[in-house]
Amino acid sequence: MRRDAIAGLAVAAASLFLFWLTLGLEKSALVPVGPGFYPRIVLGVTIALSLWLVISGLWTKQDKAPKKERLNYALVALQFGIFGLYVGALPFLGFRLATALYTAAANATLDPPRGARGWGRVLLLAVLTAFLSHLVFERYLQVLLPRGSWTGF
Amino acid sequence: MFELLGAGLADIVQLKYLTALLTGCLIGVVGGALPGITITMTVIVVLPFTFGLEPLQGLATMIGVYVGGETGGLITSCLLGIPGKPSAVATTFDGFPMARKGEPGRALWLGIWASIFGGLLGAVFLVATTGPLAAIALAFGPWEYFSLFLLALSMVAGLVESSLAKGLVSGALGCVVTILGNDPVLGQERLTLGIPFLSGGIPFLPVLIGVFAFAQIMQDVERMGGAAKALEAVDRGVNLAVSHLKVILEILSRPFLLLWSTFIGLAIGVLPAIGGSAANMLAYDQAKKFSRHPERFGTGTPEGIIASESSNNANVAGSLVTIMAFGIPGDAVTAVMLGALTVHGIQSGPLFISQHATLAYGMFAAYIVAHGLVLLLLLPGVRWMLRIVTIPKSMLFPVVLVLCTIGAYALNNTMDNVYVLLVFGVFGYAMVKFRFPLAPFILGVILGDQIEINLIRAIMTDPNPWLFLTRPISGGLIAASVASLAFSIWQHYRHRARVAEADADF
Repeated sequence: MRRDAIAGLAVAAASLFLFWLTLGLEKSALVPVGPGFYPRIVLGVTIALSLWLVISGLWTKQDKAPKKERLNYALVALQFGIFGLYVGALPFLGFRLATALYTAAANATLDPPRGARGWGRVLLLAVLTAFLSHLVFERYLQVLLPRGSWTGF
Repeated sequence: MFELLGAGLADIVQLKYLTALLTGCLIGVVGGALPGITITMTVIVVLPFTFGLEPLQGLATMIGVYVGGETGGLITSCLLGIPGKPSAVATTFDGFPMARKGEPGRALWLGIWASIFGGLLGAVFLVATTGPLAAIALAFGPWEYFSLFLLALSMVAGLVESSLAKGLVSGALGCVVTILGNDPVLGQERLTLGIPFLSGGIPFLPVLIGVFAFAQIMQDVERMGGAAKALEAVDRGVNLAVSHLKVILEILSRPFLLLWSTFIGLAIGVLPAIGGSAANMLAYDQAKKFSRHPERFGTGTPEGIIASESSNNANVAGSLVTIMAFGIPGDAVTAVMLGALTVHGIQSGPLFISQHATLAYGMFAAYIVAHGLVLLLLLPGVRWMLRIVTIPKSMLFPVVLVLCTIGAYALNNTMDNVYVLLVFGVFGYAMVKFRFPLAPFILGVILGDQIEINLIRAIMTDPNPWLFLTRPISGGLIAASVASLAFSIWQHYRHRARVAEADADF
């Protein structure tokens, strides 16, 4: 399949780049084989395997296309985007605020609220997730959570 | 051994451990019953909660989740026809038809009791074999370890996916992750790409959490529309009353089926990173082949339920053997457990059972007691589970990802691990979309460092590379790796030939 060939090429390219980087590694006086020895084996094997994948991907007859299910990739991209923003916001807003905002945004986009009741659900989930997880982890399990550099908590 | 097991049992019934185990069982049953929430995801969610606990408390919680999850998955399989987890798929084939014929209680409790029996038989194997296997592994030198880890990787790569090339590339990519950062032998910096965080290497837990959690969640998100709906077809008035004695006798009157399915579960569990999803299908298939009435399978026959459920619970014991004797995770759940051990500064592997005997036997005891606790939870609580499965995924997923974030951050209180989580979340989803199996990748990430350490140690001890082949155990393991790959290639070509034949006939 073409898709396999593309994946194989991407893996081969990344491995080749890393392999090239290993050539610049200095040998250690203590270990005769040096720090680049094992990475070169791993990357060499990965390149060989990915080239096998490219060749088999190009040569193998295309599978019969199964009946395609409509998949909501836009929603997946949105969820990754929201989670990325959450991760980015954590050091600035702190765990509680960032978590409440993330949970609300993720829930509202996965199941758009209708009317006051729907928004109430979004708000309740956001507040409860942020409050309860902070309480359980910080108070009872002694697990420190990120503090916000902008908010101070 | 029995003395230590007795001490382990005495430990685990103490309130602080029993509470942890019971909580784990409850969470596991719920997680297992929720369609779309796998046991791996449930144990990932539980992981951060264990950081602040004692090692045995944390591991007991995880074992509870594992055992509870395997049993909980059959509830929706039998009553709704929707497997709560991949290892309960085969239970659906006969559990749901039996329930639809008007015997939902019989279907459900046949599954629960078969799980309990399969799990307890697995416990005998777990307790009896872990110590001797660890003792054998203690005699291994770096050559043998290197070959053993290579065998584990080649088996997983060959067995988990119809495309051998993808399985092998996936395993190799896992090893590539481990070469970034410090050289594990001398600590020399390498391939950091100018990123200071990489100088310490990439910790495997955020990688594992990211890959598994996002791959699973985003595949469900793909199928969600604008308004995510919960399960609706739940008949809360369903009659689940049954004579437990009758059900138990129904299972025990088929001793060969029970023992053979348990054996299959154990064998699959011992093989690295394959898991209960393969065990229940294989056991079901075997039960059908050995049955005098194979035509009854799929119509609500008890044999199908017993085979599937006894094998998937025994699979847990098999996975625990591999991790406790060799330090190789039997599946994704035990990979997370390996991470939990590392967080507590405990090295798994052959020395684990001798250096941490109290903890090891505590884990055995937790596994045994967990079956009783799951039974106690389900006796009054099955009907509640039917309510819980109606929780919408749109509410569950954000909470799960928040807990994953906490798990990654709390490893060493750094945001870097959260960035790793995000990067490998995207990577894991991409792997799934390109149909790369995740299990070899994770095993590569876990074993990569160990493969390197043992390879370098072997070369430093004696630079003769032929020793990998001439030392009997090492040579045997390498031969097994080659045989495993050859078998996979043969299987792959046989499958393609059959498909071509079927196309020609058509």
